[in-house]
Amino acid sequence: MAEVVRALRLYWRLQRAAMRGALQYRLNLVIGIAAGVAYQGSGFAFVWVVMHTFPAVGGWSLREIAFLYGMRLTAHALYVLPFSSLIGLDWLVREGELDRVLLRPLNPLVQIMAKRLGVGQLGDLLAGLVLLVVALPPLGPASILFCLAAVVGGALVEAAVSLALASLALRTWNTLGVRAFADDLFSKFGSYPMSVFGGAAQWALTFVLPVAFVAYVPASVLLDRTGELNVPAPVAYGSPLLGVALFALAYRIWSRQLRHYQSTGT
Amino acid sequence: MIRVESLTKVFRRPHTFSGPLGPLRTLLTRRYDERTAVDGVSFEISAGEIVGYLGPNGAGKSTTVKMLTGILTPTSGLIEVDGRVPWRDREANARAVGVVFGQRSQLWWDLPLIDSLRLVGDLYDVPAARFAGSLRRMCDLLGLDDFLQTPVRQLSLGQRMRGDLAAAMLYDPPILYLDEPTVGLDVMAKQAVREFIAETNRLGRTTVVLTTHDLADVEALCERIILIDKGRVLYDGGIDDLVTAYAPPRRLVVELADDETRTFEIAAGRPIPELIAQVAAEHPIRDLSIREPDLEGVITRIYAESER
Amino acid sequence: MIRPLAGMARVGMRFQFAYRSDVIMSVVALVAQVFLLRMVWTSLYSGRESDPRGLTLEALLAYLSLANLQAFVTTPIIPMIAHFRIRTGTVFFDLSRPTGYLPQMAAFQAGHTAGGLLMLAPAIPVVLLVGTITPTEHPIGYAATLALGYVISVMMSLLICVIGFWTLETGAISLLYRLVSHFFAGTMVPLSFFPGALGVLADALPFKYMGYVPAAVYVGQLSGGQIGRAVAVEIGWIAALAGVLWAIWRRAHHKVVIQGG
Ligand SMILES: Nc1ncnc2c1ncn2[C@@H]1O[C@H](COP(=O)(O)OP(=O)(O)O)[C@@H](O)[C@H]1O
Ligand SMILES: [Mg+2]
Repeated sequence: MAEVVRALRLYWRLQRAAMRGALQYRLNLVIGIAAGVAYQGSGFAFVWVVMHTFPAVGGWSLREIAFLYGMRLTAHALYVLPFSSLIGLDWLVREGELDRVLLRPLNPLVQIMAKRLGVGQLGDLLAGLVLLVVALPPLGPASILFCLAAVVGGALVEAAVSLALASLALRTWNTLGVRAFADDLFSKFGSYPMSVFGGAAQWALTFVLPVAFVAYVPASVLLDRTGELNVPAPVAYGSPLLGVALFALAYRIWSRQLRHYQSTGT
Repeated sequence: MIRVESLTKVFRRPHTFSGPLGPLRTLLTRRYDERTAVDGVSFEISAGEIVGYLGPNGAGKSTTVKMLTGILTPTSGLIEVDGRVPWRDREANARAVGVVFGQRSQLWWDLPLIDSLRLVGDLYDVPAARFAGSLRRMCDLLGLDDFLQTPVRQLSLGQRMRGDLAAAMLYDPPILYLDEPTVGLDVMAKQAVREFIAETNRLGRTTVVLTTHDLADVEALCERIILIDKGRVLYDGGIDDLVTAYAPPRRLVVELADDETRTFEIAAGRPIPELIAQVAAEHPIRDLSIREPDLEGVITRIYAESER
Repeated sequence: MIRPLAGMARVGMRFQFAYRSDVIMSVVALVAQVFLLRMVWTSLYSGRESDPRGLTLEALLAYLSLANLQAFVTTPIIPMIAHFRIRTGTVFFDLSRPTGYLPQMAAFQAGHTAGGLLMLAPAIPVVLLVGTITPTEHPIGYAATLALGYVISVMMSLLICVIGFWTLETGAISLLYRLVSHFFAGTMVPLSFFPGALGVLADALPFKYMGYVPAAVYVGQLSGGQIGRAVAVEIGWIAALAGVLWAIWRRAHHKVVIQGG
């Protein structure tokens, strides 16, 4: 416990230092936030434009889609805010920055996370929460709790995939392309009712890359649509736990790969 | 304090193919290139020693230091630092060692030096009162006051190195690893670094492992050196012993009347006056001097012999 | 005059190959994107009697696949390059060459685009298949609007490069530009679906010439006189952008020279 408190305290100190550094490039920071909003915004703008002409996607109304979108966006923001520096891991490894991290008496992942705060994603979080609240169906207290747990679970699912893939960078693999692709799948395919994509693709997006569990499965539970799912209802109800399990697994992969870290030649 | 036994590190890299389809082949075939950077190295270092870890470029010095710090996991062999296995017990080991890599700063690039030092204090849980004391001492020893508020990226190499040394010793680790700390520095800065190392060792009985290929560093600081090449230990012992054991013979250099210079080897055990007398009998001498073998000559000879 | 530009184009092409593993992944992402759009739109169209905006599902899918292919190939790279070279100061080598800076950058982009086409070649049949694209009735109109649209796209990229001389930081700007241009180019929804003010805005901006206009010509949504008018407006944009570029460049160049001195 004391270890965790210490890690949190140091995380905060390091994060503040990183922010002080980043503030020297203020203009980039501001535009970065704008770009983040534009990226997620253009995704929803697409849905909005489409729904202007068509009343439903895969049987889901605009309101339901907006709710799904809100859940996914919030989960995504909750993942990126702390993990945004994972994106640069390839670079950290190549530049030997990881050596530095490994010299310090603090969990390497915490140090890497503290290198940058995804300020650009604050916009995502805001947009996601707004969508979520506006489109929230009438829910009882238990369902609200489930919704919160599901959003955190969804963030952990994304974080787990991202961490597991990033671990390969420790072996000097070029993981940037693969990770960008996975990210793309999460953000593009995660915001639609999966039944739209047909059996095989839906299966792959559920069991190969667990995109469905970020928002679609829990949203189906909350919208009373578990009948459409390709997983049994009890699994759908347990979906927030999947994130925890996957993240634990990903962390093990990460730790193992760290043993194989080869540093750089200089 | 430090015990290393048959330490070996083999780097494995996916084999890169050239040609247009090269990357694809690299991805599909599982061929690796192996390179043995450290090859069965053993030594022991006791508390309070300053040991020069010497070798030409690519000898495996940095790789050894990285294994000692726990950054790299050895392929085989054993390391114990202060009773701990660094790679298994990385964080505890990190608290006990200070590290400076001459090639790469450990400081926060965009922040003033003082901020970096504060963060180091936080990371190593140095209590505020002790931090203030340590900082004062570092400033005095290294003359940091002039540039404490300057962002690290604006420091000169010498200033940055002094900042790095301060960051490595702020938390009073009993062990200090220095990987080429004087590389690229001017004479004054080199001198400052050497004085700091000597002082730290004298005051705190800090154990120092100093990696370098600058022999002047070694001569100024170390009584013992470990000489490696191609990942293997060639020599481990005192500098004086090294010079006696491997020294090329001393030479007598004479300048003759017709401006010609000639050198004669002084065979071991032969009295010098006798040699001078003999030379003087055969040549008209104008001036003469005796040239002592230096460390550089010794080490060049050892490397040359290991090549054969 | 020509030789250095050809050299620059070669560098641009090689740049594309140097990052080929990333590029290959983005080609895979492109195919996935086309697939996603196909499935979503098929679902949207199912159960409707009339075709909205007079666009059949087949035409729409062909449109989307084309627009995405075009956007992929013409992805602007030079704002990134210029950003990097301005920050590291290497831009001075570019400026000291006898051929102008802007032609050099344009050549780099052209080489990069050619490289992208080569890399994309294996994926094109897949995209055509997934997108069910059939031959067009307006090959000349398509080629003309696309070529002019590409020129507009390069000129806009050059504009961003030049802005970099002031802000010294174009990393985020070029990302923002890429997002906005993709959206308003109509790579996910044809502009004819854009409602109200958004539609007016999208119609007024030049981004549509990089995606919507040529693709709509291809599938026959724009035809006859509309094609001629589009070409005329494109030429107008090119002239206007050339003027703006020329004016801004004079000032930017001046600024750089001062900074270097
Ligand atoms: N991360 C690495 N991957 C592959 N080879 C490496 C790596 N680090 C070092 N080497 C190789 O191992 C050998 C020893 O390197 P190093 O320990 O850095 O030498 P030194 O510090 O003595 O100059 C060199 O041949 C170097 O190329
Ligand atoms: Mg080295």
